[in-house]
Amino acid sequence: MAAAPTEPTVRLPGIVLASLMFQHVNSDSDAEGLVLGESKFEEQITISDSQADHIHIEEIYNIQKHRTFHQLNTFYNSVGDVKVEAVHKLLADNKQESVIGWYRQRRNTDQRMTLREKIVHENLKTSLSNPHMVFVLLTPSELTPAGSTYRTEYAAFISRSRKFLNVPVLVTNLGLLEPLSYWKVSASCSAAGYNLTMKKHGAKFFSSNGLLREVNEVNKMNDSLQSELQKTCGDVEESELLVETLQTEVSALRRKVREKRQSQAGTDVVVDLSVQRNNLLLEAVSALFTRSPLYHSQTLTLEAFPVPVVPSVCCDQHVSTMTLTKCDAANPSRTNCRRPRAARKRRNSES
Amino acid sequence: MNNMSPEVALNRIAPELRPLLCSVVRNGRVGLDSTSCLRVTDLKTGCTSLTPGPCCDRFKLHIPYAGETLKWDIIFNAHYPELPPDFIFGEDAEFLPEPSELPHLVEWDAGDPECLLQLVKELIQQYHSYQCQRLRDSSRLLFEYDSLLEDPNYGRNMEIYAGRKNSWTGEFSARFLLKLPVDFSNIPVYLLKDTTLDPGEDVALLSVSFEDAEATQVFPKLYLSPSIEHALGGSSALHIPAFPSGGCLIDYVPQVCQLLTNKVQYVIQGYHKRREYIAAFLSHFGMGVVEYDAEGFTKLTLLLMWKDFCFLVHVDLPLYFPRDQPTLTFQSVYHFTSSGQLYSQVQKSYPYSPRWDGNEMAKRAKAYFKSFIPQFQEGAFANGKL
Repeated sequence: MAAAPTEPTVRLPGIVLASLMFQHVNSDSDAEGLVLGESKFEEQITISDSQADHIHIEEIYNIQKHRTFHQLNTFYNSVGDVKVEAVHKLLADNKQESVIGWYRQRRNTDQRMTLREKIVHENLKTSLSNPHMVFVLLTPSELTPAGSTYRTEYAAFISRSRKFLNVPVLVTNLGLLEPLSYWKVSASCSAAGYNLTMKKHGAKFFSSNGLLREVNEVNKMNDSLQSELQKTCGDVEESELLVETLQTEVSALRRKVREKRQSQAGTDVVVDLSVQRNNLLLEAVSALFTRSPLYHSQTLTLEAFPVPVVPSVCCDQHVSTMTLTKCDAANPSRTNCRRPRAARKRRNSES
Repeated sequence: MNNMSPEVALNRIAPELRPLLCSVVRNGRVGLDSTSCLRVTDLKTGCTSLTPGPCCDRFKLHIPYAGETLKWDIIFNAHYPELPPDFIFGEDAEFLPEPSELPHLVEWDAGDPECLLQLVKELIQQYHSYQCQRLRDSSRLLFEYDSLLEDPNYGRNMEIYAGRKNSWTGEFSARFLLKLPVDFSNIPVYLLKDTTLDPGEDVALLSVSFEDAEATQVFPKLYLSPSIEHALGGSSALHIPAFPSGGCLIDYVPQVCQLLTNKVQYVIQGYHKRREYIAAFLSHFGMGVVEYDAEGFTKLTLLLMWKDFCFLVHVDLPLYFPRDQPTLTFQSVYHFTSSGQLYSQVQKSYPYSPRWDGNEMAKRAKAYFKSFIPQFQEGAFANGKL
């Protein structure tokens, strides 16, 4: 009989895969742990009249659950030596015989085993005395640059003579599903065990209306949010109405003022709004500065001697430099100093 | 692949990992081709997208090796920066180094900025051993390797890349990259500068590609560092012989080495010969020297007079002097050509022998000037205008 090579397959329940993905989504780093289940070898012999009998060996790894280490690099060191006590500690209920492999989840990396993973895998096989172990690798990554869509790829590996082979993974509850088909209702099941389990644990997950508890809570939160939004909208509407009313009142008042002004325009005298001079200040400046030598201009001869000139008044050219006529302080409405009676003297400078 | 500068990579990496990466991107010169640095690309993170940056902790490292570029993934964990990195060796899925032979992995020290770089160097050494092991698939190539290994001049400075075996034809290919033990230290400094590129280490690498296991298709190529290439006269100045049919590397490599050494010696001797030549002219022509190249001794200008006729003589010495004859350019100081340039005549063939010493060359040149000048003067009057 002709012997055919084994064809290994990993069977992974959807719930375990979903649980692994969900766990890693909520983890801020890589994750790793052990996978539990059973591995079996099935020999199938194909008998045919036309050709020699064909032996076909199926190597099946049934993954049933997983256990996660709380930290990375817990059960091995930097060179990949396995710490068996850490494995035992994780399997507190002594389920070592059901360990059929381990898994690792690492974001944004290739779907290939790393150096340390290969070494750890070989050492784990030796430590647990199980030559048939599987390594499951999940690699979530961003599918779009904006980060709106992610994908998680998964693969399984086994080692044969220190060579690592990629093994097909069959997700059992999606195994026969066509890509375009979706389950819209759950399939009915009449098994007594199933009903008993649902009865025992169902209340933790489902509410009385058959929906997941979280869905009800989300709906309630949504209702609260909607009522708050409506309340706020009502407040905004009220304030808008108030503003409108006030604006109407303001417009009416402005109109009245304008009309009143127009009716008064024909009877009132136009008020002279020209600027009034501050005669008191003018008088004070004249008194202080006209006699101050600092403010007098000086003419010099070529020999730099001053020409004896009568200093001129800075505020008004028409006022005599001989005598300054005092402005009438009693009548501040007078804008100019009066022209003096004395003859005006011209200032001559010697060249 | 997204190329990024070292500064960009350092800005995006998680702060705890920055010192490790800094050593790699700034000081990371490994292997024989140390002119190129290690490069980092594809920086990514193992954290969720909600984690505020910078938090990148995994990247691809590009390593020049035996004429190829290895692309290795290096994976850290930003939340566990003290843990040692992990590696994916690109397409070399079968490369599995022994961890106990990686001291910097056994004693990983996240606080030592050089730890990652040293670990990478150890991995490259292991990779080299792995490639040499792969040569065992071809007895012919294994013989080439073993024979080179026995020679200490080449055995210690060799990188080998064994290519993929073609599963249909069974053909196996390999590339040998060897650092040639040629001494470049005596090349005059002026020849080595004046290159816009970072000169780095002066090195000559010989790459020999075997496209088949029986060595019927062998393609050698010589790589020189930019400064050496410039000093020897450019990429076209040196042609190595083709790999002889039926030949082997242990005979061929020394031949190429000798050729390169001779070239370098020639350049060095040429420099000294030029200096001797210029010195002799200075001695013979004294006050007639206008200027000369005091660094490379490649040019000399003389102002001479013959029967009240003044003229300039420009002497240009080629790189491979004295094998190549200097060019003499006679130039009138009175006459112009129609294009406004000074009237000149170039003389490339005149009495000359590379075996003369500088003194003899100066004397012979002087005699030649005397014989040629009347003819030059006539030409200047006839063809030039004042």
